[in-house]
Amino acid sequence: MNDATLAPGEREMHWGLRSLLVLTLVYVFLVGVSLLESGVKVMGADTQQRLFEGVSNPVAGLFVGILGTVLVQSSSASTSVIVGIVASGALGVDDAVPMIMGANIGTTVTNTLVSLGSIRQSEEFKRAFAAATVHDFFNVIAVAILLPVELITGWLSGTAEWISEQLVGSAGVEFDSPIKKWVKEPVGWIKDIVADLGAETNVLGTTMVLIGLMVVLLALTFITKNMRKLVADRIERSLNAMLGKGGGTVAILLGIVITVAVQSSSITTSIMVPLAAAGVVTIHNIFPVTLGANVGTTITALLAALAAANSNSLTVGLVHTLFNVSAIVILYPIAKIREIPIRLAQGLAEIAVARQALAVAYVVTVFIVVPLVGVAIFR
Amino acid sequence: MVMSFFRRGDSTGLEAITARTVSMLADARHSFDLASAAVLSGADVHTVADDIRSTDDRINKTEQQLRGELVVHVSVQGSDDIGEVLGYTLLIKKIERIGDQAKNILDLAEEGIDLSSGPDSAELTRIRRTISEMMGEAADFLSSADPDEATAFRERADTLRGELEGKIRDCMHSELPGHEVVPRAILYRYWKRIVANVGGVVTTATEPLQHQGYLDDGETDIDD
Repeated sequence: MNDATLAPGEREMHWGLRSLLVLTLVYVFLVGVSLLESGVKVMGADTQQRLFEGVSNPVAGLFVGILGTVLVQSSSASTSVIVGIVASGALGVDDAVPMIMGANIGTTVTNTLVSLGSIRQSEEFKRAFAAATVHDFFNVIAVAILLPVELITGWLSGTAEWISEQLVGSAGVEFDSPIKKWVKEPVGWIKDIVADLGAETNVLGTTMVLIGLMVVLLALTFITKNMRKLVADRIERSLNAMLGKGGGTVAILLGIVITVAVQSSSITTSIMVPLAAAGVVTIHNIFPVTLGANVGTTITALLAALAAANSNSLTVGLVHTLFNVSAIVILYPIAKIREIPIRLAQGLAEIAVARQALAVAYVVTVFIVVPLVGVAIFR
Repeated sequence: MVMSFFRRGDSTGLEAITARTVSMLADARHSFDLASAAVLSGADVHTVADDIRSTDDRINKTEQQLRGELVVHVSVQGSDDIGEVLGYTLLIKKIERIGDQAKNILDLAEEGIDLSSGPDSAELTRIRRTISEMMGEAADFLSSADPDEATAFRERADTLRGELEGKIRDCMHSELPGHEVVPRAILYRYWKRIVANVGGVVTTATEPLQHQGYLDDGETDIDD
């Protein structure tokens, strides 16, 4: 076939150069997380308290997590920001846990939006919408079970804290991270530049937080974009292998591997939606890949925790991983329980095909209206 | 499935699809050769029938798998290769049809048609060999398409199609008895379709998508 996929003048970057670019972007991302942490620390204690007192209610925290993630369309970004804030000491682990769970729900909006792309072809849309919303249902059910368990027993944060202690020492202490040392210098330069412009305490802190947010979002966007190019052929090969073999535990591992590679669960799940729409894979094939994507995406917050170098931030990163692994352990092994989110998604897809406006209403209600109302009521 | 992610691949997604398409075309050629031999050289029909049917099953399964892999390719790589992907969906369908037409030729042999002893047997053998060789050339075009050679190939395919059409017309006006003329007309007709599909395979590999299956910048429909 004709080899004319590149536009005139466009040259494909060598993989070695692209790998180097990704490593640089990871460094920039870690600088961003550290900037966030330092920015919040620079703010006065009163400002910190005012900023985060709203999320001391776990339900409000959950909804803030959903809204924040829907806004940036990436749980990797929102959880990294949460890790940075926890590292600053302005947000406690207990307050951060519901936000992390909210981020898990919020991230499912991307593939649900992708599924709306086939809204005009009813059969395709039914398959695509079910494949997308099975992720929503799984995450909502997981939160409905694990948030109360966490609030009553502190099981997730307790276990994460224990692991964190084994790894880096007692709770709340700063640990000796070489990554922290590498990112310290540029954070200092940026702080000095902003301070030289006359900014102090709250203005200086807010400016650093805003720069940090921007750096984290841009770095993650470009990491994802470049990693996707680097591993696209590998993803294609492994998905082709899946076509012949179906789902199961191996598909969960595949979801983890792809998501760790591209640093985005949204990419993994959004790749699967058109495959379901075309009928190439079934919802039963996709479901385990989606669960793997939930676990794989937690690597970013763990990476961010290394830059923060505070055991609490590592605890929060570990809570994210533990939450998603626990959800799989509870909801996946038993066939009857495993079928619940699948049946719910298929039922919703039937309704959405009959009344397409309801599909749009579902997205707006679940990802925007309910979280907004929730934050307004519970904060 | 997971290990295939870590395995170092020698080819990109489309290169792997091209390789499988070439092997699909080789299967179609194999079926064509066997079926034509059953009619032209009096080969044992029962011996070749199983081979042709199992080869056709393999062609059909490969077509379905390749469709899935093409969807995966677009899903993963984005729309950069969309023209090629659409071209491939047309191309693998043409190859699948060649497999079906080989089965149609086998049907003639299974009906007891044997043209090995006719006065035109050398001519029929010559045409069969030409078509078979063209399939081999078409496979080469899939992996490395030279536009000039592709144009020359399409011209040869058009000439052969014209020749076969002339032979079908001759049969329609022939004074010979039906049991001699009808099998030849049917065989020429299947061969004409096969040549059109082989030409279509090369067109798909070298021409813009909107002109595929047509000649003269989209004016003449080569499917009938």
